[in-house]
Amino acid sequence: MDINCKHCNNLLEQKVKFCSQCGQSVVKTVTNTKIKNVNIIISFYIAMLVFMVIVYFIDLNFPFNLEADLIVETGFACIVLGFASLNFKPVLRLYNIKQLNLKLIGFAVLTPIITSFFVYFFIEYANYLFSDVEAANYYESYQYLDYPLFWSILFIAILPPIIEELAFRGVLFNQLLKVTNQKLTIIATAFLFALIHFSIFSFLWIFPFGLLLGYLRYKYNTLWLGIIIHFLHNFIILMLDYYSFYSF
Amino acid sequence: MEEAPKIITNALECKHCDTPHDEASLFCHECGYPLKGTEEDVAKFYAKRVMDKRKSKDAEKKIKSARTTLYVIAGIIMVFGFFIFLSSKDVTALIINIIVGVIYIVLGTWSKQKPLIALLLGLLLYLTIIVITAIAEPKTLVSGIIWKIVIIAYLGKGIHSASSVNKLA
Repeated sequence: MDINCKHCNNLLEQKVKFCSQCGQSVVKTVTNTKIKNVNIIISFYIAMLVFMVIVYFIDLNFPFNLEADLIVETGFACIVLGFASLNFKPVLRLYNIKQLNLKLIGFAVLTPIITSFFVYFFIEYANYLFSDVEAANYYESYQYLDYPLFWSILFIAILPPIIEELAFRGVLFNQLLKVTNQKLTIIATAFLFALIHFSIFSFLWIFPFGLLLGYLRYKYNTLWLGIIIHFLHNFIILMLDYYSFYSF
Repeated sequence: MEEAPKIITNALECKHCDTPHDEASLFCHECGYPLKGTEEDVAKFYAKRVMDKRKSKDAEKKIKSARTTLYVIAGIIMVFGFFIFLSSKDVTALIINIIVGVIYIVLGTWSKQKPLIALLLGLLLYLTIIVITAIAEPKTLVSGIIWKIVIIAYLGKGIHSASSVNKLA
């Protein structure tokens, strides 16, 4: 627990409130770094928010455009990597596979089967019931391309889990840990993860989904479990869309 | 003979909070009192304490007004939902507004225990909803912009104060 005074670099041996050599308040310097970290969290979220607006307008003006889709994904990855580079080492450490074992991977494979079927049949039905709009078929929206299955898997099942897990369970999680404890960090990341999906009905299931992913990230210190669950969840929903597209 | 023991206790204990100290310390590590400072240093120390006390009182007030802001938003959103429902029989809008209102109330209540995180999530929720409504209807971004800025300022000040009020303090 030894820390140095930020002002005069004097070694503080126990938890003290003031440096005994220069009289600077240790609490105050802690507070200042805290405010800085909170500002980074807010900026990161606002950056993603602004990005979502840009994505919406790109989608509106360039529908069915592969280049636009690729630029959008690259842009999101750039924002996330930019914020990750502020504190790169702890993020990099999350890509370890030390704690992974068969039991955990089994869990990570079984969970998305339950969540994806629940979401596909129950939530989409609720959405349909209340908003009268047929949910978009994820597979169908890539029909304009030569290999719709390949592109839809890439854009729905592979890229989002990798980037979103890094954004929420990596960058945001680490940043929140600097200002608060683990329990609150899990809740806050799940909340923001659900919020950025821009749908109030989806919020009700993405929030618990985010809590699960956040808990796994905290317990096993790895992003891989979240990526596997997130990937399979999206993949199964996409496959259900694929199936329903060809059966009707 | 009477003076001697007094000097020794002074050297080892802080005059302000009686925390024991070793000889090398220039300041009390508990309260920041200048152990070897001049009279002027001591006067500065007390002046700073008064300021800090006022600041932390001020911080609590700001957190409280941020909490009130969350409740006010919750109230407005729910009333607005009922208003839409009565005029257009739109059940979806009513349900969505009630859900959002409940989330605001939960965050407001939660801010009594965890002001920093609750207010932070409240602010980000508010910004997200502004963006979502602006996407649906760009006009809403400009309407009532002064109120939006006031609300954001209140929540922002609350967050700032909540990060200064520290468990260590």
